[in-house]
Amino acid sequence: MRVVLAGMNHRTAPLEVRERFAVDDPEPWLAKLVAGEEIDEAVLLSTCNRVEVVAITRRPDAARHRLRSFFARELGRGEPLPERHATQSVLYEHTDTDAVRHLFRVASSIDSMVVGEPQILGQVKEAHRAAVGAGASGPVLSRLFASAFAAAKRVRSETRIAARPVSVARVAVDLARQIFETFEDKRALLVGAGEMIEAALEALRGAGLSGVSVANRTPAHADELARRFGASAHGLDELPGLLAGADVVLTCIAAERPPLGVVLFEEALRARRRRPIFAIDIGVPRNIDPEVNALDGVYLYDLDDLGGVAEANAEERRRETVRAEAIVQEEVERFDGWLSALQAVPTIRRLRARAEAVRQAELEKAAARLGLEGETRSGVEALTRAIVNKLLHAPVSRLRERAERDEGLAYLEAARVLFALDDPTAPGAEADLLDGSKGGGEEPGSSGGE
Amino acid sequence: MVIELHQLTAALYLAASLTTFVGLALPSSPLGRAAIWLLAAAAIGHGLAFAQLHALVPPPPLTDLPLAVSLMAWLAVLFVLGLVLLRRRRLESLAGLVAALAFVGVFYASLSLRRTVEGGSEPVGGWPHLHVILASAGIALLGVAGLAGLLFLAEDRRLRAKRRLEWVRGLPSLEALDRVNLLALALGFPLLTFGVVAGMLWTEDMTGRLWAGGAHATWSALAWAIYLALAVARFGVGWRGREAAASAAAGFAFLLFAVIGVGIAA
Repeated sequence: MRVVLAGMNHRTAPLEVRERFAVDDPEPWLAKLVAGEEIDEAVLLSTCNRVEVVAITRRPDAARHRLRSFFARELGRGEPLPERHATQSVLYEHTDTDAVRHLFRVASSIDSMVVGEPQILGQVKEAHRAAVGAGASGPVLSRLFASAFAAAKRVRSETRIAARPVSVARVAVDLARQIFETFEDKRALLVGAGEMIEAALEALRGAGLSGVSVANRTPAHADELARRFGASAHGLDELPGLLAGADVVLTCIAAERPPLGVVLFEEALRARRRRPIFAIDIGVPRNIDPEVNALDGVYLYDLDDLGGVAEANAEERRRETVRAEAIVQEEVERFDGWLSALQAVPTIRRLRARAEAVRQAELEKAAARLGLEGETRSGVEALTRAIVNKLLHAPVSRLRERAERDEGLAYLEAARVLFALDDPTAPGAEADLLDGSKGGGEEPGSSGGE
Repeated sequence: MVIELHQLTAALYLAASLTTFVGLALPSSPLGRAAIWLLAAAAIGHGLAFAQLHALVPPPPLTDLPLAVSLMAWLAVLFVLGLVLLRRRRLESLAGLVAALAFVGVFYASLSLRRTVEGGSEPVGGWPHLHVILASAGIALLGVAGLAGLLFLAEDRRLRAKRRLEWVRGLPSLEALDRVNLLALALGFPLLTFGVVAGMLWTEDMTGRLWAGGAHATWSALAWAIYLALAVARFGVGWRGREAAASAAAGFAFLLFAVIGVGIAA
């Protein structure tokens, strides 16, 4: 089994490209991916800053090709990308250990635009849940993601990477201080009711904003959030009136086209006698028309802009990142060990099948020659099975153990040569057929591995 | 001693300005606070220099352009120091800019001070002094408005271009700069107006007519008319932000030319 990962993030693709690949509901896309022969299991992670597919395959070259075509022809909504952002130039690919390391870094927020931000782990968990729901995640991906969550948990508890997280909300508050003298007489409008909006609401309340309004497509969600933070809840139809009273606007809703355009902002500025508005758009695709930034009195920042500002304060977290990388490396090695052990399973299965075939053949010969029947035959059968099991116990245990280490492949190779396991004419060779089956089979550790 | 005190004041203004900007580049250092103390020391020295000039017999008249420029610098520094000490809204960078301009003004005054002090002078009456004091106060405040406008434009440009500055926390907010601009215009324009009226009364005292013409009077009247239009736009139409900042900066540039530029040329 091989791990293949392909995708784009805030470093390789600008927001205008990422927003075309953003996926709201990954399940139909995952169903398409695993329907073919190339990919056995898949998870699609789509956040504001990245769109990635992690796949398990037995044919890595074919899987990579399939993922390239998936991004270029299917996920990009068929709209041609600007020449300078051709899909092959914004897409990255990782295989095996590199892919595992990449996923662990993503889950641990080391690869985030704002290093240490807490939302990404929830987003990775949600992506895996969706894959399980779509029937696209099997035992290997489940194990891979469980390891990624464990790595992320260790990074958060053993480093200070999240002790002072510079979240998007905090960066926004810092920027707002460059525009406004005080927050005491300022109002904020939050459009959306997701996790990002919740984090922003907390940060803005902490900064001392006098009033906060939450507007959402589903007013009930806004109502729930507003009640918890002492804000007022509204529907999207109230946006024009709310915008006129808002000094800080933060948006993060799913929308194909920006629901907040230049005209809406012009009207709001007129109504508020041109008092400035600081607008932060963390939606992907964007929720506010980028042309709004040209209006006198509006300062519009999108995710990429905020990332640039966050970088300025990242020195302390960069030091913590070094420690986080070491933890990720340990977890990657642990997972690699498990995966290698998984490669040992077919060898062990063949070895057992070979021994069993030999035992059966010899037992039949002996039974015919000695006329064994009834209890006597059962007794001899139990005896031979016990001998075979005892003889195989040590080599099988050693193979499992060593397969998790660097020299694992050498031991597996030695076992195959010594017992002629690759000889198709040898007794028990038909067990090879089982190796190619999807999923199932013996799990490493199921009989005492980890 | 009068000249040396002026030179010392100029040096303190320069030191305050340089310390402010080094302090902004090193935000965690105590240099920002030190710069304000230096500026306060310079303002006290500047006040003492004026007291010494006043003690001379006869005291040199404030109608002398270098002395008037020095007075403008002092009043601008006192205004911005008041803002920094009372409001504490990260206005140190504005104070640094005012200190830099004050250095230029006081240095220019100190160059011609020997001629003014040693040459003796005719005593002038009350109207000329009232005209110079009121007009200088108006110009000083409108100068602070212009500098706040320039800082606003630079900050606005940076925020729109999404350029980051490591020392950005030390800069005043756009809202604070806009308020300084508003306050300086609200106080400076009436003072300038009273100064112009006092000048007209001085002219009438000398010539029997309120308007005697001449380059200084014409350009000054034009500058006053421009500020009248700016005040109407700001307080009547509701200009703010970029347009208010740009007009304050442009208005001050014109005022400098009309009063000081034309005065030097004359």
